[in-house]
Amino acid sequence: MTGTLEQRSAPAEGRTSLLGTSAARKEDDRLLRGDGRFTDDIEPAHALEMAVGRSPYPHARILGIDLGLAAELEGVRHILVGADVRSATRPLTVLRPVPGAPALPYYALAGDVVRYEGEPVVSVVATSRAVAEDALELIEIDYEPIPHVSDAMAALEPGAPQVHPGLVERNLMVSNPEGTGDPEARVAAADVVVEGRFRINRVTGLPMETRGIVAEWRPGARELTVHSSTQVPHLVRKQLAEVLSLPESDIRAVASDVGGGFGLKLGIYPEDVLACLHAMALRRPVKWVEDRMEHFRATTHAREATHDYRIAARSDGQIVAITDTYATDLGGWNSSFGSAQLSSVVFTGPYKVDDGYVERRVVLTNKTPIGAYRGYGQPEVNFACERLIDRLARRLGIDPLELRAKNMLRPEDLPWRNPAGAVYDSGDYELCLRMAAEAIDYDAHRAAPRVPRADGRLVGIGLSSFVERTGYASSRFLARRGSQFGAHESVTLRANRSGGIDVYTGVSTMGQSSETAFAQVVGEVFGIAYDAVKVHAGDTGASPLNTGAFASRTMIAAAGALTAASEALQAKTLRLAAWILECGAEDVEVAGTVVRRRDDPAVSVPLADVFTAAILGQGIPPEEEPGLEATAHFEPTDAAYSFGTAAALVSVDPDTGEFDVERFVLVHDCGTAVNPMVVEGQVRGALVQGLGAALGEELRYDADTGQLVNGTMMDYFAPAAPDVPPIELLHTEVPSPVTPFGIRGVGEVGTIPPAAAIANALCDALVDFGVELDTLPLTPEVVWQAMRGR
Amino acid sequence: MTDDVDVTVTVNGETVTARVPPRLHAADFLRHRVGLTGTHVGCEQGVCGMCTVLVDGDAVKSCLLFAAQLDGCTVRTVESLATGDRLHPLQQAFKDAHALQCGFCTPGFLMTVTALTDRGERLSEPEIREEIAGVLCRCTGYDPIVKAIARHLDATAADDAARAAR
Repeated sequence: MTGTLEQRSAPAEGRTSLLGTSAARKEDDRLLRGDGRFTDDIEPAHALEMAVGRSPYPHARILGIDLGLAAELEGVRHILVGADVRSATRPLTVLRPVPGAPALPYYALAGDVVRYEGEPVVSVVATSRAVAEDALELIEIDYEPIPHVSDAMAALEPGAPQVHPGLVERNLMVSNPEGTGDPEARVAAADVVVEGRFRINRVTGLPMETRGIVAEWRPGARELTVHSSTQVPHLVRKQLAEVLSLPESDIRAVASDVGGGFGLKLGIYPEDVLACLHAMALRRPVKWVEDRMEHFRATTHAREATHDYRIAARSDGQIVAITDTYATDLGGWNSSFGSAQLSSVVFTGPYKVDDGYVERRVVLTNKTPIGAYRGYGQPEVNFACERLIDRLARRLGIDPLELRAKNMLRPEDLPWRNPAGAVYDSGDYELCLRMAAEAIDYDAHRAAPRVPRADGRLVGIGLSSFVERTGYASSRFLARRGSQFGAHESVTLRANRSGGIDVYTGVSTMGQSSETAFAQVVGEVFGIAYDAVKVHAGDTGASPLNTGAFASRTMIAAAGALTAASEALQAKTLRLAAWILECGAEDVEVAGTVVRRRDDPAVSVPLADVFTAAILGQGIPPEEEPGLEATAHFEPTDAAYSFGTAAALVSVDPDTGEFDVERFVLVHDCGTAVNPMVVEGQVRGALVQGLGAALGEELRYDADTGQLVNGTMMDYFAPAAPDVPPIELLHTEVPSPVTPFGIRGVGEVGTIPPAAAIANALCDALVDFGVELDTLPLTPEVVWQAMRGR
Repeated sequence: MTDDVDVTVTVNGETVTARVPPRLHAADFLRHRVGLTGTHVGCEQGVCGMCTVLVDGDAVKSCLLFAAQLDGCTVRTVESLATGDRLHPLQQAFKDAHALQCGFCTPGFLMTVTALTDRGERLSEPEIREEIAGVLCRCTGYDPIVKAIARHLDATAADDAARAAR
């Protein structure tokens, strides 16, 4: 099945129910009515508010902290400094350690040294945020600035300032090499070798809701309740237990509505620990909501990396080896998810190459810690790989489309293990490539004479092909990487007396439409009406232990758990209904709100009656236990690999370098689409984030002062509605053989191809200038400079 | 505090009287004093547009106003749109077009477009994009929002024309 998803909104053949339809979203009504419940909407009685004082320096010794009159200010209730935190907590734990790297003792407040601008140094709780901020202004902190380093490549040079002296030599946390075959021998013997250094910009995911927490402690009940804007409430609970030395049973973490996550809200941050410490000291609820200025400095950044990428090929275009040695800028500390790991996993893209080598070098600098962000390394490596494919094509005089097609893995090659060990499950990569080319009218462009258009602009088309890892290949795979979370999802289904099914999940709701998709799977498998399924998300006090919403993994894993739990619940439901209808369980079926006889649908019993009988234990067979509830866990055996090709058409003013993306086509395969409307939304939304990172977004640090120079919304240019080029989405639908229903993840794909496709289009338009773009973001200034060979 | 100021505001048809600190901004006032948490705060510098409400019919960013400046004004927030359990046609248009994901920005768009709708114009797609440039969304990529607004403006204009014809 190929085409636009709107063309296939009817149920797939043989299906009469919910899966594969654009069911209306469960989440919408409350959000449309201003009735969502985000963290700052939660206001427990007698709550106090926290404000955090942060380092203005990228690197400095703290010589002293003088609280001055802050403690006497009316309304101030509690102040914490670094020494308090060191005596009361353990260092922050991480969820995805850098394999082979030393642990860094990252506490919620700085000790003797601050390592990035924005690092928390002191925190104050008062009757209002305003009063707490007043108090911060009364606190004198004596800093002694010390030399800093804000560029990862400079940090590796001899003599560079050391971010963690004694713990990490030369600012290199670790090198992680992977590969197969003998790429160096292949390179030496190759007809042609192209290589380049590609710089990927530091950006941030910028969810519209910043982070936030409300912490409440009842010492008598030994209950710490934490409302948090997080993608992973069960992992927040785990980490808080570790850092605060509390048993997990004393902690309940709740994420109700989350206003966007994108990877930034994975695991705890220093402020989460601080709010809990204050609340436990005061026996009063403490709220902290990050302001946007803080967000730009205190919430993880992403992407920044330098790739030295190399492709060796025969003169006929056959690729014989690929190598990539890259440095990721971790910032001053290791965050919960640290620097991106997927650049290594998919470094060879969709191409068939047996000899390959990839090495990740994780580098410390005096900048805000790097964390996960939608794509998690895949946009970065795609930019390097796909730019070089085009350069190879130009070098060999081969059409870039045909060069890609020649080297792509074919459906019959799959499953296939790439040189980094990733096992691509299935797909037709070339089909997506050809569809993208056709949609953008590639052949006509190639056939047209290379002259400026009537408006004086030069036109170019660029392609970018990719594979994308979605989900995780089992907990055994994660164990080898030291990850502190599982690969499974879990769910509890509970029948209620109204004839509905309550679904309890630890997957919080952050825009990804999991409530909708979960209800669709339950409806599909159990047979119950969609409207009779209610999803209760994000409360560790109600949901089974799970992993969480990240890595495009939720549906892949949760669909299995939802299916197993629905089947178990349905089997018992049918037995109880058959008892009521005085027939065999094999003679009845669930249909919407009733259970009915297969041979005589007029004979039925309402689900409400069956469920009530089960809950009461009255009117059920003597051998049956009362109750109707099922919990299931599911762990996929393998990751599923999404894939696709993007094509961009740009026009460039050859005098100024100003350019427009006039068309952007993405052909993509996420396997079976549970809800086509939601799939479109996920792909389109991620695509615009990818376009933002490709064309304008960049967190810039001043080399002299080490300070973030554009850390406000006023000068960090996330796309607004007029900035978005026309986007055309096309899909293929190759079910994955390794996941329930053949689902592949869909949340991150759009971030991957925009930068390379647009850069390739610009280089195509400007081929007569010999332009080769290797730095992001792609601004008119960058293009203009490249045209002039600077 | 002695320098607190008295304000009387009509919010969603109800009169609210309060004594507020002079530095309290209007968005925080609506959220934390009036209890209307549908108005969201995303940047507190007038860029993101989450906090957009109607003040005397104009769409304004309430983080850039002090609560004290609302004295004597009529304010409408997102909570005023639906009637009972029935979504306002604009809300329904957003739902139909999948014009929201996390929903944090949605009230800002809804109130911006409510003011736009009151002008009674049909707008081209580029014009709609310019009109909503003051509200950011990080989830949808905007196209579904633009589509929802276009449909809503067209339907509203058609309704108005039909009413005028009667």
